[in-house]
Amino acid sequence: MADVAETIQTILSELRRGTIIIGVLSQLEEAQYGYSLVTVLEDKGIPVDPGTLYPLLRRLEKQELLASSWDTNEARPRKYYVITPFGREVYAGLCLEWKALNEAMTKIMNSEEA
Amino acid sequence: MEVIDRYVHAVIRRLPEGMREDIRKELHGLIEDMLEEQAAGPVPTPEEAEQVLLHLGHPAAMAAKYRGHERYLVGPQLFESYLSVIKVVMIAVIASLSVIFVVETALRPNEITDQFTSYITSIVSAASQGFVWVTVVFAMIEYGIRKKTPSEYGSMSWRPSDLPPIPDSRAEIKLSEPIAGIIFTVLFTIVLLSGAELLAIYTTASGELSIVPFINFDVLYRFWPFIVAFGVAGVGKEIYKMLVRQRTAGLLAYHIIFSVAGVIFAGFLLSEPGFWNPAFMEQLQATGIFIEAGNEFFEPVSRIWETVTGNLIYLIILITLIDIGSEVFKWLRLKKAGPITINIP
Repeated sequence: MADVAETIQTILSELRRGTIIIGVLSQLEEAQYGYSLVTVLEDKGIPVDPGTLYPLLRRLEKQELLASSWDTNEARPRKYYVITPFGREVYAGLCLEWKALNEAMTKIMNSEEA
Repeated sequence: MEVIDRYVHAVIRRLPEGMREDIRKELHGLIEDMLEEQAAGPVPTPEEAEQVLLHLGHPAAMAAKYRGHERYLVGPQLFESYLSVIKVVMIAVIASLSVIFVVETALRPNEITDQFTSYITSIVSAASQGFVWVTVVFAMIEYGIRKKTPSEYGSMSWRPSDLPPIPDSRAEIKLSEPIAGIIFTVLFTIVLLSGAELLAIYTTASGELSIVPFINFDVLYRFWPFIVAFGVAGVGKEIYKMLVRQRTAGLLAYHIIFSVAGVIFAGFLLSEPGFWNPAFMEQLQATGIFIEAGNEFFEPVSRIWETVTGNLIYLIILITLIDIGSEVFKWLRLKKAGPITINIP
């Protein structure tokens, strides 16, 4: 028989994939580089693998949700990402959708329990 | 640390040139940040570096995430057909060169060593040409499919009316048709490229074998890039047929364009000065054939030669028109019959 915990992990990682985008957009009002974003998100309860986040940041930049710039002043050159006005609009829309989804899911789960 | 450089290099060598430098810097920064946080002491050890790299995952997987899609020259979707076409082309190449070899050996048995050497080198070069061109055609089809497939996050608009129709058995193309087509195309191309001197009159009227070729192959060989291009386009058409296995408007259009281009090329080729063996009649007379058959044949044969060489293009045009006409007719009849209807009770 399939392992319950393992199955939950597989489905959970699928569920998380989309929410990571919302998490990333929420944290980039001020420019951050990739690894600092990993730490911030982890502290807020959204663990994300750097190997997933870095390619994702590039993709979001390509979709014009984020803008990037290199900071070469420090000892270690770092690429900083910040949300664009377009990204901000998209983020606001996503938040509304997420809340609606959350409400609907809560209702479903409550009625199951009742 | 060397192992980090090696890891980063292993990732970026799998990425397009334009992305490499940026990702190299970015990955270096990431790995150093991770090391700094996870290292126990102020100077990270090689073991700690390895732990970080293991956490990031295999370089190929990492590169795949950056690319966003898997890269294939010929993907799994097409690979089976690709293998079949390669096999058919190889068989056709070997068969046609073997026929040429056998004929040449029969004609000049004392040159067998030279002929065998040229037979082997021809097989190697023709087989590699065939391999390369089939791969190019398939890679282009693969690229076309990739372009049409939506990316992971991109959305694509489509209409239900764009859905391909349920395969219509009346429009179905039997697998034997494209296979025969490939064999014929390869054979024809190879004969034009390396066996044209065998298209000749063979006579032993003078006691020993004389060969009078129809075509001046020096002129023919000047056109070899066109001949290769037509061979490739022809095999491409058969591959398309093999993949679609259906008569479609696109296939019909391809067929018509290919045929018309072929006729135009033939027109240029046949009207090229010196394409036909200019000394054909003189050489034929020198073989002594007319002494044996009677001198009164010289005039009529000469006239037939003039007529055939002067008018062959019209015959080619006629055959092509009949072929296009019959294909269009078949297509129209299929259209007129209407789409197949499925009755739902």
